[in-house]
Amino acid sequence: MHTAFLTLLSHYRRHPGQLAMLLLGLWVASALWSGVEAINASARDSYARAESLFTSGLDGLQRADGQPLTRDDFLRLRRAGVPVSPLLEGRLEAPDGTRLTVIGIDPLTLPGDSAFASTDNQADNRATLANFVTPPWQTRLSPDTLGAFGLDLRNATGATPPLADGQRLPALSLSPALPPDTLVMDIAAAAELLGSGDTLTRLVAKAGQLDEAPPGLALTRADTQLSPGQLTESFHLNLTAMAMLALVVGLFIVQAALGLALEQRLALLRTLRALGVSGWALVGLLALELLVLGVLGALAGIASGAWLAQRLLPDVAATLGSLYGAGVSSDLRLPWHYWLGGLGVTLGGLLLAGSGVLWRAARLSVLGLGQAQTWRTGFHRQLRLMALGGGVAALAALALWGWLARQPAGEGLMAGFGMVGFVLLASALWLPPLLAALLAWLSARLRRYALAHWALADLQLQLPRLSLAMMALLVALSANLGVSSMVGGFRLTFLDWLDQRLVADLYLQPPVERTEEIHAWLTERPEVAELLPTRRREATLVATGVTTGAAAESPPEETSLDRPVVLYGITPGVRLMPSWPLLDTLEGRDAAWAGLAAGEVFINEQLAIAEGLAPGATVTLAVPGQRETRRVLAIYPDYGNPRGEVLMATPRLAKTFHAPPRSVGIVLAEGVSSEALGRALNARFAQGSDALQDQRSVKRLATTIFERTFTITRALTALTLMVAALALLASLLAQARERRRHLAPLWALGVPRRRLLWVSLAQLGGLALVTGLLAVPLGIAITAGLVGVINVAAFGWRLPLHIFPGEVALTVTTAVGVALLAALLPALRLWRASPRALLAEETPA
Amino acid sequence: MLDFCDVHKAYPTPQGPLRVLDGLDLRLAPGESLALMGESGSGKSTLLHLAAGLDLADHGEVLLAGESLARLGEPARARLRRESLGLVFQQFHLVPSLTVADNLRLQARLAGREDAEWSAELLARLGLSALARRYPEQLSGGQQQRLAIGRALAPRPALLLADEPTGNLDETTAGEVLELLLDLVRDTGCALLLVTHSAQVAAPLDRCERLSHGRLDHDPRAARP
Repeated sequence: MHTAFLTLLSHYRRHPGQLAMLLLGLWVASALWSGVEAINASARDSYARAESLFTSGLDGLQRADGQPLTRDDFLRLRRAGVPVSPLLEGRLEAPDGTRLTVIGIDPLTLPGDSAFASTDNQADNRATLANFVTPPWQTRLSPDTLGAFGLDLRNATGATPPLADGQRLPALSLSPALPPDTLVMDIAAAAELLGSGDTLTRLVAKAGQLDEAPPGLALTRADTQLSPGQLTESFHLNLTAMAMLALVVGLFIVQAALGLALEQRLALLRTLRALGVSGWALVGLLALELLVLGVLGALAGIASGAWLAQRLLPDVAATLGSLYGAGVSSDLRLPWHYWLGGLGVTLGGLLLAGSGVLWRAARLSVLGLGQAQTWRTGFHRQLRLMALGGGVAALAALALWGWLARQPAGEGLMAGFGMVGFVLLASALWLPPLLAALLAWLSARLRRYALAHWALADLQLQLPRLSLAMMALLVALSANLGVSSMVGGFRLTFLDWLDQRLVADLYLQPPVERTEEIHAWLTERPEVAELLPTRRREATLVATGVTTGAAAESPPEETSLDRPVVLYGITPGVRLMPSWPLLDTLEGRDAAWAGLAAGEVFINEQLAIAEGLAPGATVTLAVPGQRETRRVLAIYPDYGNPRGEVLMATPRLAKTFHAPPRSVGIVLAEGVSSEALGRALNARFAQGSDALQDQRSVKRLATTIFERTFTITRALTALTLMVAALALLASLLAQARERRRHLAPLWALGVPRRRLLWVSLAQLGGLALVTGLLAVPLGIAITAGLVGVINVAAFGWRLPLHIFPGEVALTVTTAVGVALLAALLPALRLWRASPRALLAEETPA
Repeated sequence: MLDFCDVHKAYPTPQGPLRVLDGLDLRLAPGESLALMGESGSGKSTLLHLAAGLDLADHGEVLLAGESLARLGEPARARLRRESLGLVFQQFHLVPSLTVADNLRLQARLAGREDAEWSAELLARLGLSALARRYPEQLSGGQQQRLAIGRALAPRPALLLADEPTGNLDETTAGEVLELLLDLVRDTGCALLLVTHSAQVAAPLDRCERLSHGRLDHDPRAARP
């Protein structure tokens, strides 16, 4: 067996290109998959750490009047026997610019079975606890936060590094279970660093311990707070889908290489069979060969994947932070099962890709072995099976589409991915039979043109070897077009939406306690044409009502809920009303704005889709001590917001729900410079530098966040396309020697080498052109699936379908360009081969 | 028809240049048939490649129908091959993706001088009419060689170059194929340069030369001490 195995492997000594192609396929497939999984694993680790923290999993209390809590509130409640613990949260800047979350706690009153207590067993030690709660205090932080202070593990414990503002942190103590960029310390130490005086951020209590909120306070139950893991689930599912696509494309290369390697070893297999090696033993040896190559490729891929993830993680972390407020470490933290999982997926994929080849090898008859005809007949059978498989996949896609059409909007993320997957699979499977039919049809029509006829007939002969690479190209191109059209459309919509929403020239974020004073000052200023104050408050959507039947007077059908929403107040002024985007209204824009001013509400698209609400429905909103039902007059787009939002007029929100002030939009009078007002404001109120922002910088920031959001998407689609190009190149290189053997007789019959070169390029360019043209409708279908189903289910908003002729042209050009590039190297080798070398290879095919 | 004047050809090898043709002179008149014999590695195939313009001499001149091949560019040599030459290889080199009928017409079509009647006659005379729609790999060795001969003769070339055309065939089939080849050559009136190491194959041809050490044996210069 040992000898037979070495004999089988000896094929790669003569054909190192095929070995390289196999390993390349395995490597890239595994690298992209492992890279994305590394990012997902690292992010999930961060979520797990965040969720194990005391800021989640506990009920929260805040003042019902929207004013900040103070230490007196805490003391009053404790004296009354209410088991609450104070929390102080704030932001500080590290010397390298990293924004750190500071959490001040009182470990003596913090619920004993909170996650914090369980993550820090040493805290049981009285001495440690004493160090934590008494000056000079301690700072607990995760090792992956040390980089912000330029420290490493050896010199971290006990260090008192400075912050950007010069203050020094209490002595550091490492706590690996904490989330990244988070500092935990005693509440007194945090108050000193943050300069917050007696103010508290909130009070927390063990989940379910309080039956109701104490008087004057609002209770937020732990189970109504969305965790970062829940919020970002869709984002990670999208990434996994992209990685799966890359894995599939990579496995196309593998299957192409395996098929070629087996086809060229048919004679060798026959010889081994003749020498007494059984058919099943041969299949076993081929499987062993697969396993050896698979392990090699997977190990290289997983290591490269970790490297790729390390490069992409900062962008992903920034995206998750800006989109969902989820803190994700920029450092990779990979659990042991990541490595095993990567190996398992790669080997599983390899087995899947190789099973067809092994099956065919096991079924080949000994007598027929080695004859190209046997293999070709096999390909014709394969074409029929592909057409059949494609039909089944198309039916599955249709069935899912039919099912999705009957679901409420926003449902069926997995089904949406399944539908897109089946559409891709059907198209990929139909491609080879379609190309074969097209070539046969053209060949019959161009019989009189010898060279064209030959070129088409020759392409038919090449098709078995090129079809997998073409399938990979089709999948990669259409996915690329689909995703880039979606991103491009989203970009257009998002920029328009930003222009419509950001109508003020300046945005001011004043401290809550000075809001009224600043507002009054601004009202007096001649530079100010209009003020657009906003307010915000968390609330619970406790019921929705939908009027059924023709009679509008009939009572609405109510549904009880317990959904956290944000109440947001805007000022419907002359500048804001005409431009604020509305997707749907009950009785037109003017009536909607009039109703909003009178106390009714608008809701964002996310909430409308999630709860199946339309204009005319009612929403019952509750804050502690207050419960109000309002009619929905309009639905507005709210891109980038993961939460449901209810819009009210600011004065109404302040009056009805006591929402605290948030920001003030300042519309400047004609010809007034924003710098002058900014200077006057700073001189009068000594605002911090980030309290006042002009419209352009807000837009710039939003656009930057948008671009970063899609960095990984773009990177993955581009890499997938590169993989497909590599598949094509590898396929062509692997058969370059045989191609020369086919071309040489033609050259000998009097076709100039230059023309042969052009014909070779035209053959592949034409095939790629057809593939590229097929990728266009497929890409558009994918875009439609993404914007109509997947985005709605994943993010809660619907986008208009945009088709960019430039992107379409780029897709077709890329297809042809990739094919020509891949064909160029073998063609140049043909061009540069000496006549003797060319003729020396003239051995029977 | 074909003239070799003091032709030299060597190939680089790790041990230094290997001289294959060393001042060879050869002349073939229109319609004449010549058998070229020699040991393996004596340069017979190289001579054929030079005659077809597939390769160029290092020194000396190869003239085809009065034109010096060395002075022609690659496209012009290809045109000459397409229009004036027929090539028959020992290993057939049929195009596997084309049917028997399309293979037979391939060169004539490339040369733009397809004659449907002549193609049909050739197919019939070669005994391939019934197999016209098959593919080369579905033919026997003898049938494949007959098809290769038909392809070479379909454009009615002025010169047919044949490299061991019966080398891969059994004795009976070889005899049949050779007879057919000579019949067709006679009927088309083309010249024939046939490379073989079989005296039996060489016998029916007008002339026979032996290639040895890069020169023809009859060459008077080769006989000099």
